[in-house]
Amino acid sequence: MTYLLGILQTIGVHTLLGLSAYLLLLTGQLSLAQVGFFAIGAYVSGILTVIFSWNIFAALALGSLMAGFFAFLVGFPALRVKGLMLVVATISFSEIVRLFFFNLSWRVNVNGVEVGPDSTQGFREIRYFAANGWEQIHIVGLIWFVVMVVMLALWWLDQVRAGAVLRAVGTDELAAQSSGINLTMVKVAAMTGGGVIAGIGGGLFAHSTTYVDHHTFVILLATFAVSYPIIGGLRSVIGTLLAVIFIQGFIIEGLRFMGDYRNLIFGLLIILVMNMRPQGLLDGHLVADIRKLLSKLTKGGKADA
Amino acid sequence: MNFDHIDIIQSLIDGVLFGSIYALIGLGFTLIFGAMHKLNLAYAASSIAGAYSGLMSLTIFGLPPLMAFIIGPIMSGVIGLILYFVCFRFMPRGNHLAPLMASIGALFFIDELIIHETSGSPMSFPAILPDAYFFLGEFGIRGDLLLVMGFSFILMAIVMLLLYRTKLGLGTRATSQQPVAALLCGIPIHRTNSATFILAGVLGGFAGCLLAASVGVLSPLLTLPLTVKGLIVTVIGGLGSIRGAIVAGFAVGAAESIFLLVRGVNERDIYVFLLLFLFLVLRPNGLFGTTINRD
Repeated sequence: MTYLLGILQTIGVHTLLGLSAYLLLLTGQLSLAQVGFFAIGAYVSGILTVIFSWNIFAALALGSLMAGFFAFLVGFPALRVKGLMLVVATISFSEIVRLFFFNLSWRVNVNGVEVGPDSTQGFREIRYFAANGWEQIHIVGLIWFVVMVVMLALWWLDQVRAGAVLRAVGTDELAAQSSGINLTMVKVAAMTGGGVIAGIGGGLFAHSTTYVDHHTFVILLATFAVSYPIIGGLRSVIGTLLAVIFIQGFIIEGLRFMGDYRNLIFGLLIILVMNMRPQGLLDGHLVADIRKLLSKLTKGGKADA
Repeated sequence: MNFDHIDIIQSLIDGVLFGSIYALIGLGFTLIFGAMHKLNLAYAASSIAGAYSGLMSLTIFGLPPLMAFIIGPIMSGVIGLILYFVCFRFMPRGNHLAPLMASIGALFFIDELIIHETSGSPMSFPAILPDAYFFLGEFGIRGDLLLVMGFSFILMAIVMLLLYRTKLGLGTRATSQQPVAALLCGIPIHRTNSATFILAGVLGGFAGCLLAASVGVLSPLLTLPLTVKGLIVTVIGGLGSIRGAIVAGFAVGAAESIFLLVRGVNERDIYVFLLLFLFLVLRPNGLFGTTINRD
């Protein structure tokens, strides 16, 4: 049971990472900064609960706001230029964040125990949940509550004008610009939103594992983050969730006996999917087919009645 | 920390000499970008992989150390060609995300393969001129780095000659400017692109071998820093600009060396990466970006 909850925890956190990349991918931008925002969320909210003894919800909120703020700061210079430049800028950003926390040492005495980030030794003792009597099932519940809220929000976004604007920028920048859409504003807004989502994911991650260090926040994690929505397809948030379940649940957990080869398989999977289905597994055609099938089924049901 | 002008000039010399390796990697990135207007993120990984295959062929076939510098680049060229077919050749032309993502997948595939084959431990690489050290007044110059720089200049000259004096170069430049028009003029664009990937791969193989020789070891840990710095060189020089990549390579090497002197090894890369953001804000097209794009 603990094992299953552990997997659910990982899948939940990775879904948040994937959704944060999804929002920006809607505008056609590929960002590897998600892991940087994730790290900011993890460290900021961890520092707030551990050093300043904040309430978890306030800490998560401020952590994700900080991540969003940095996303806004990075987005501005990076998104003004070409899309490919964003990849370079975001890789650099993630590495800057990682190296910053690699060097950050902030040890303070709280109730007679020295706590806080200890540069290369990592940040231990993020024990808010244990100290306040949360059980693992509650933690998993909280993570999945956040995942559901974010997924609903992104789904709702697709039903209103904002979603159409995002997709317009993603489909054809020139056409979007000619219809009066401010490209930079839309992209920076998406970047900021993605930062907030990744930041809250990072906060949940730090508190559920109780320990983070700079090794957690390498570019590989950023690659996972962007690969979920890309492999799942950008038609709907469900694709991202399915991709996370497939990659984390099947390739990383299910193929545990393959050991180190799992990351190799992950690399290979990305290449294969990109060649076979450049629009992702759950692309527009497939979604339309499923809709047709569903409506047929429901119509069939009505005819029977 | 105390340092005088001698320390500063000394680290500038070291940095510029070492920067020739960044210039080569940046040149490779720029060649590929220039040809297809797409980034090959697995490029630096393929360079390191080439150096690894050169090194491994030494132990397997018992060859003299110098052969690593021949087999490495050849293997890198082969890997470059494979990358072209696996990540770029069959992708829809308008889709920028798919090949980019595929090359990231290839980056991790190559990286994990190296880690798996070597159990993640660094391997020592044959040094070139290990004892050569010159003095120029008060400043010392590492002989091997001087050789690396000289060799890089030769390679850059060869690339320039290939691009501007041969039919292949004409085809490459035409494809880079207008792929469809080039195709209509009878230029086989896929063959031209393959040639560009092989050329860039060979160049990267040399860079990988030179890097390993001047550091002394070959380790999978070199891949990601080389990727990021190569990309930064490309962006600072101006995407697609050959001149820019070379100048920016030396500049980034020098800057890195100065940051190392001032802030130490743990924080050095933070400042190198911040330099990129400075350029993105102040000069988003890089040093030579706009002029070259109009060529």
